[in-house]
Amino acid sequence: MKVLFVTDRRVDAGSVQALANYSRAGDKLGHTMAVYGSPDPRFGDMHVSTDVTAFDYLVFVFESKLRWMSGLQLARILAGVPRHRRAILDADGMYNRPIVLDGYDHNHVSERDHGEWLAYYTELADRIFQPTLAPREATVEPLLFYGYDPESVMPEQPTSEKAFDVLHVAHNWWRWRELSRRLLPALEEIRPRVGPIAFVGAWWEGAPSWAGALGLEAAFAVDGARLRQLAIDLRPPVPYRDVIATMSAGRVNIMTQRPLLRYLQFVTSKYFEIFTADTTPLIMIDPDQAELVYGPAGRALTLAGRIGDRVLDALARPARYREIVETVRGYLSIRHSYRQRVLELVRALER
Amino acid sequence: MRVLLVSKLAQSSRAVSTIVKYAEAAGEMGHQVAVFGEKDSDFPGLDFSLDVTAFDVAIFVVYMPFDFPDLPYLATLLDGVPKERRIVIDCLGRYNETIRVEHDFNHLEKMEGHQGWEWIEAFQAVAGRVLQPTLTPRRNDVTSFLFHGYDPAAVARPYRSAAEAAAAWATDRPRKTYGIAYVGNNWQRWTQVRAFLEKLEPIRNEVGRICLVGWDWARRPDWAAQLGIRGADVDPDLLARLGVETRDAIPFTAVRDFLAQASFSPVFQRPLFNELGLVTNRTFETFTCDTVPLLCLPKTLAETIYGPAVVPLVVDADVADHVQDVMRRPERYWQAVLEVRRHLGEHHSFGRRLGELVTMLAK
Repeated sequence: MKVLFVTDRRVDAGSVQALANYSRAGDKLGHTMAVYGSPDPRFGDMHVSTDVTAFDYLVFVFESKLRWMSGLQLARILAGVPRHRRAILDADGMYNRPIVLDGYDHNHVSERDHGEWLAYYTELADRIFQPTLAPREATVEPLLFYGYDPESVMPEQPTSEKAFDVLHVAHNWWRWRELSRRLLPALEEIRPRVGPIAFVGAWWEGAPSWAGALGLEAAFAVDGARLRQLAIDLRPPVPYRDVIATMSAGRVNIMTQRPLLRYLQFVTSKYFEIFTADTTPLIMIDPDQAELVYGPAGRALTLAGRIGDRVLDALARPARYREIVETVRGYLSIRHSYRQRVLELVRALER
Repeated sequence: MRVLLVSKLAQSSRAVSTIVKYAEAAGEMGHQVAVFGEKDSDFPGLDFSLDVTAFDVAIFVVYMPFDFPDLPYLATLLDGVPKERRIVIDCLGRYNETIRVEHDFNHLEKMEGHQGWEWIEAFQAVAGRVLQPTLTPRRNDVTSFLFHGYDPAAVARPYRSAAEAAAAWATDRPRKTYGIAYVGNNWQRWTQVRAFLEKLEPIRNEVGRICLVGWDWARRPDWAAQLGIRGADVDPDLLARLGVETRDAIPFTAVRDFLAQASFSPVFQRPLFNELGLVTNRTFETFTCDTVPLLCLPKTLAETIYGPAVVPLVVDADVADHVQDVMRRPERYWQAVLEVRRHLGEHHSFGRRLGELVTMLAK
């Protein structure tokens, strides 16, 4: 099968890591998985094409932004590929009816906003996939989409070579409430006993200039003084190809997920990247979701209870945690490899 | 014929003036012209419709990528109107190989993110025919259709003779706010405007106030500097030295009255347009205004569009001499203006244009 992914290609955000994996895994299985666009050295590890008519299916990958395709592109795509050969991966739950969690994270600012997304999706494709095993909308088909690449697992390095004790690699996007209420208080308690800590990603220094105009101040909220008090090193985002190596510079990596995606039980690239890195992942997701994705061993890596104690334990007993990580990696290799994901995608599109 | 025009409307740019004139002409000729979209109260003279099945043809008037509507509207058009009844009017010569003239391009990849092939393939995917507002299209699969036109009824002061016009102009000139006013956005015109202004400098005090009206005449916009784009260059120091005023863009409905406040009004075209022989709304509109046009256009292009009488109005290298000569003997130039108006009324009226379109579509 020949599948062309059409997405807002960003080098340090979104689903681009997954798409590179689809390219590689597809090759091994005899499928062609490419990304719409011209050759670009920043995305050199994936197949690219602009010939929309040369593919059996187009899969549009949408995140939180709707109108990233120009009318010119759309005109060419819509006129060239019939609707029944177009599908959407709705990675951020924008297809769902409006959800607001604790007056904070939300998928839509209004019913009208939701209506715009629905109208757009309805005209673009026949089928909507979401990266969850439990879609909440009846017309959505489950497709985990993101996966694990056993061949990308970083070799183990001595902990003495790690630049950081604790890393958090993620953009500041709907994460501040959880960080400020759960993670930072825990780090404040244990800070003297922990070495360097860094947050790697966009908007930790402050909201982008356009946030206010879009009513998204809350999504980018951050208290720089509090981060400085904790001596947290703020570093800019890295290209997707450097994410795993960057994570590997930390003895412990903490994974957070924005509340909306947690609520929707969506998986993301980060779910799997963090187990490819040479690090101890500590996961701030619900234990049931962790077990569902990572297998029973995944529960042991969640930060559900006393976060500070768990971080200290992970730093103190790396070998014990390494065993858990290896167990999870084994589970991921069987259940969530990109080989598996490609086959699932092909089956889903053929249905 | 029922014509549905598909275009992003703006008050002070692109084809809005032409589209309004089509709507007026259609009403007089028993045709129907509407713009695709929801009713927009900013354009009270236009009908809008989303009912694509109610029209014989959908015409995409394309300048920019956003002239193609977004979803869901684009799908409504593509699903509801067969390709053979969809037409693109390519106002900027996008449907060509990439052409560069000075620092003007037909494909502005740095700004718009689209390469030349994308334009060509998109047009081919969307439309059964591509029209360009030039008499000399370069591609065999393009049909010449000037699209823009002239409205004799819009002439501000329809003089009966050159003598009457010259007398009125000479009388009014001291009372006019400006000696020279130009309405047009600062996009790919600075090279010509600079040369024009510099040549006027020796007679600066005789001319009266000079005003440039449109986007980005006061300073080069930040985005142009950031992207390294020369198309919006301007020299504020030169403008200050010559006492040239700048004003923001004005709505299309205000252009005629504004230019009536000026004794002269130059017509500049982008280098790309001169190269491709493209015409614009301004090609015709200036002749409806109570001002003496200063045509800074290639002479051949001017004669082709305006007829042989236009020659005195084409400004050669010596702008100052030309302006002084108009002031000395205005009747000669007004004679040319009136003859050009007659030529435009005969050959380039909106009624005629719409008739050409209907004939073309009926084939």
